[in-house]
Amino acid sequence: MDILEFAWLIPVLPLLAFVIVGFLGSKMKDKGGIVALAGVGGGMVLALWTAFELLTTGRIYRANQDWVVLSSEYTLEMGIYLDNVAAMMLIVVSLISFLVVVYSLGYMHDQGPRRHRYFTEICLFVGVMLGLVLANNFFQMFVFWELVGLCSYLLIGFWYERPAAARAAKKAFLVTRVGDVMFMVGLFILFTELRTFNYESVWGMLDSADPTMMAFAAFFLFGGAIGKSAQFPLHDWLPDAMEGPTTVSALIHAATMVNAGVYLVARSFPIIATSAEVSLFVGAIGGITAFVAATMALCAPKIKGVLAYSTVSQLGYMILGLGAGAFLWHHGHHVAASVAFGAGLFHLMNHAFFKGQLFLGAGAVIHFVHTEELAKMGGLGKYMKVSMITMLISCLSIAGIPPLSGFWSKDEVLAMTFEAGDAGLTFMVLWILGVLTAFMTAFYMFRMWFMVFKGQPNEGTKHATEHGGHKHEAPVSMLLPLVVLAALAFGSGFSLFIGDGFFGAIYYDHAHVLSIGERLTEVFTSPLTYISIVAAVSGIMLAYFSFNKTKVSAEKVVSKGFPKAMHQLLLDRYKFPVAYDKIGYVGVYGTSLLLDKFDRYVIDGIVNGISAFLIKSGGVVRKLQNGFVQSYATLLLIGVSFIMILLYVVGVLR
Amino acid sequence: MEIPILSLMLLVSLVGALVTFFMGKNPKMAKMSALVFSAIPLALSLFMLTEYVQTAGGYQFEESFTWIESLGISYMLGVDGISVPMVFLSTLLVFLAVIFSWDIDHRTNQFMALLLVLELGVLGVFTALDYFLFYIFWEVVLIPMYFLISVWGGPRRAYSAIKFFIYTHIASLAMLLGIFALYFEAASINGSYSFSMIDINAVSPMFGQTFQVIVFGALFFGFAVKMPSFPFHTWLPDAHVEAPTAGSVLLAGLLLKMGSYGIIRIAFPALPDGASEWQWVMVILAILSIVYGAIMCLAQKDLKKMVAYSSISHMGIVMLGFATFTEIGIAAGVFQMFAHGLITAVLFMMCGVVQHKAGTRNIPRLGGLASKMPLGATFMMIGFMASLGLPGMVGFVAEFSVMTATFDAFGWLLLIPVTSIAFTAAYYIWAMQRTLFGPLTKEVDADHLHDVYWYEALPMAVLCGLIVLFGMFPALVMDYIRPALGTVLGLLGGI
Repeated sequence: MDILEFAWLIPVLPLLAFVIVGFLGSKMKDKGGIVALAGVGGGMVLALWTAFELLTTGRIYRANQDWVVLSSEYTLEMGIYLDNVAAMMLIVVSLISFLVVVYSLGYMHDQGPRRHRYFTEICLFVGVMLGLVLANNFFQMFVFWELVGLCSYLLIGFWYERPAAARAAKKAFLVTRVGDVMFMVGLFILFTELRTFNYESVWGMLDSADPTMMAFAAFFLFGGAIGKSAQFPLHDWLPDAMEGPTTVSALIHAATMVNAGVYLVARSFPIIATSAEVSLFVGAIGGITAFVAATMALCAPKIKGVLAYSTVSQLGYMILGLGAGAFLWHHGHHVAASVAFGAGLFHLMNHAFFKGQLFLGAGAVIHFVHTEELAKMGGLGKYMKVSMITMLISCLSIAGIPPLSGFWSKDEVLAMTFEAGDAGLTFMVLWILGVLTAFMTAFYMFRMWFMVFKGQPNEGTKHATEHGGHKHEAPVSMLLPLVVLAALAFGSGFSLFIGDGFFGAIYYDHAHVLSIGERLTEVFTSPLTYISIVAAVSGIMLAYFSFNKTKVSAEKVVSKGFPKAMHQLLLDRYKFPVAYDKIGYVGVYGTSLLLDKFDRYVIDGIVNGISAFLIKSGGVVRKLQNGFVQSYATLLLIGVSFIMILLYVVGVLR
Repeated sequence: MEIPILSLMLLVSLVGALVTFFMGKNPKMAKMSALVFSAIPLALSLFMLTEYVQTAGGYQFEESFTWIESLGISYMLGVDGISVPMVFLSTLLVFLAVIFSWDIDHRTNQFMALLLVLELGVLGVFTALDYFLFYIFWEVVLIPMYFLISVWGGPRRAYSAIKFFIYTHIASLAMLLGIFALYFEAASINGSYSFSMIDINAVSPMFGQTFQVIVFGALFFGFAVKMPSFPFHTWLPDAHVEAPTAGSVLLAGLLLKMGSYGIIRIAFPALPDGASEWQWVMVILAILSIVYGAIMCLAQKDLKKMVAYSSISHMGIVMLGFATFTEIGIAAGVFQMFAHGLITAVLFMMCGVVQHKAGTRNIPRLGGLASKMPLGATFMMIGFMASLGLPGMVGFVAEFSVMTATFDAFGWLLLIPVTSIAFTAAYYIWAMQRTLFGPLTKEVDADHLHDVYWYEALPMAVLCGLIVLFGMFPALVMDYIRPALGTVLGLLGGI
């Protein structure tokens, strides 16, 4: 039996669960939780098995089917394309989805009948996300891309009666929609130029294609990624998306869906690499996003806010890595390009694990203290040992402390950006931004960690522990995913050393196979590595002194002058929400109100004016107005008879 | 063909209308009668779908009887891949509209009878193969719609009904003139008088250039008003706002399609050279309709008016597809007609439900309906999502393919209509936020808010099911449409 022949079942199982839970879940005792678990779990088993087969054999699996034929040269297809990149995505998506469903059984327990909708939508999400990964063409990816967007919309607005949730859902949908429109334009260009959407056909035709149009195609496709992966300047929806349940933030808005944009960049990597300008653009957007989002995370007041900005920032790293790769490829540095490509995806995988863990940990914390305000927490470590330790592991990992996973991938992204700096000075600037971001990352993560688990218990903690509150941690169904993900956050980086190593499996055209010793030598003889480590350690130290030892008072620093203004600007998210509102509400809505007046007074005014003129100028029309319409049927008959007589006469005369 | 299935549909609608009308004493019987008499054409059209040979091309189920021989008028019916989906849509929507109108208690028999008369007219338009017959059915449609608005309509029903009537009637006069011109011109070439579409279209390439340009203009005006296209659209929002729900469903779901159907069935094949001269006018009007309609939606406070304007935008997509003169564009345009018919029916039904339950359709006064009517909210979301072109629902493939064809044919001009995709999402998502989500408002009487009744839920459930079914398997529809386009493409390609 060839497991790959059953790959189509991977999304189908969760979708089956979606249908069952959707129609029958409200009658079930657990509102569909077990069915969801079974569907997503079944999908995971198949996905992991499939991924194992792909990664161990290096096979590529293809399947293709016509979906709808619109013309002799325009057939929309649905198919499967499985290579190692897809295998990695399958592991990440299916594993984290399953863990989140397990976690949800405990976390959503108090939601009563609402769980029905929750589990329905989660199953749909998992199914379509896996479908996106399996796609064998850009069109199909877009189809599932839109559907994951729908799920994201529905789940952000899960508590739809809260105005903030309804607003956030709208914002997420509309802002990503701007990216989606660009994605669509990219697709139109691909079809017009190449007459196909199929990945491999597109890649194979690039040499003979019009380079200008391919650059445009790459640019517009990347526009889709800017929206979905919350890249600057369309990043602002993601922090708002935290209005959804924390499990949703973990699954969709940190670990899987937002990676779809990065995955799209990986799939359009060959197209992007045809153009130096677009490659540079991709890298620059990634670098800027990483930096800008990290600055906003520095002073975010809410625990999920920190994690949201951090997600945006880390996605920026991934995009930066891929952009650097494309740029290197364009300039003929094929081996380095291949490593950069792998590094971006390596970071995607590691990030999914540690960020998934951090969000679920944050969920456990919020579950405990019933607040998201960091300032109201503190001293929770006493009560939540498991959460504290697992989150510490993830924080160290994301900060880039060796040998945890985040270290390996971030270091590789930065090293490759530095390498690209040889070919284009801009990448040198981006590398500096990347290192600064690494410093900030370490700082804000440990700021969060110290504020939650260390120091004096603040009002939220007191309230939760003193007044008859629970003093124990979350149930096992919630702790288990935390531990598993923490283990992955710790160890997923070691995939560098398994078999041929990560860069021997996930690469672009050139596998970079090194032995363990060679790899370690390469990493630890490079001065760049130490720069990253120093940045990370000093970030942690600063956080330690500010928020644990309170040697440096953060409040005092931002109490006046330029730091105060800067602090406010960061809290205002660089005024991005205001700008979005200005464009949307004042610009678009204002235009629509003006057009509405135009429609009513000018266009309809002309219509009514003409009829009024006719009524005034001829009594006939007025007379007709009264009786005419009511007895119209009679008139119609008379009219038709008259015409027939007329025609008859004409016929006879001839 | 042994059974004259098309005539049978027409006959059943007609008989049904009469029988229902004479049940004035007993509203319940009138409803039952309408239900049965609208179910029969639906069953017949389902039978037709199975019997129709998709790959054969040309007209099938043809019936032809000479009516007035000296004038060349014949009673000629037939369907091809363009009309088959429309016939199915017509029988389906009338049937569902009857169910949805179960609570009509004012002159029930007349209301139901008018729905069946409407069905007669619409089916006639979609099956007639004789220009004269086509015109008669076209006019027949106006009467029931006029009365539906003027008797069962809202406060400004008189104004809206007359506006609808006069506006579309002027348009059909232009069309009638165009038809006569075709008739005489064809006769001068053929040597014999005939209103048969097949006879006239067969000689259409021999029509003179100037003749084609002028007559195409007349026909196009007639059809553009009906679709409606910017700037001839202002009758539509007025008519919808005042029309009863079933009237709106059929107006948007079927009557608008008559306009686009006329373009593809009559104007293109009869006047291919004229079409090519008018191509840029069509493209510009289509793009204006798409973008203008979408932006107008954002400004609307009345939920139903918003949906009405969205029809202008979505019918613009049909015209844009046609105006590419390519196989992809025309195929997708026809598909969009079908898709829009299903989607817009759900939307207007939901407008009716909201009006009925909340007592207002004014968006700023609404809010939080989802908590009180979860099923209704689900239907509304499915309808909105389908209408904004979400993949997996019926509108997506059509819209996407029209845009593809547009870029293929006109290049970067596409950047203008493509923005409507964002605007469309904006007005639907914003409307949902303000009506369904958030807390309940004080202006809505929460005690009287309850979820949809069975006769409201059933039609919407059927439509939503079909929206998803045809969205997931668009080939089910496309396989009818595509083989039928050879004729019209051949004529357009021969330019």
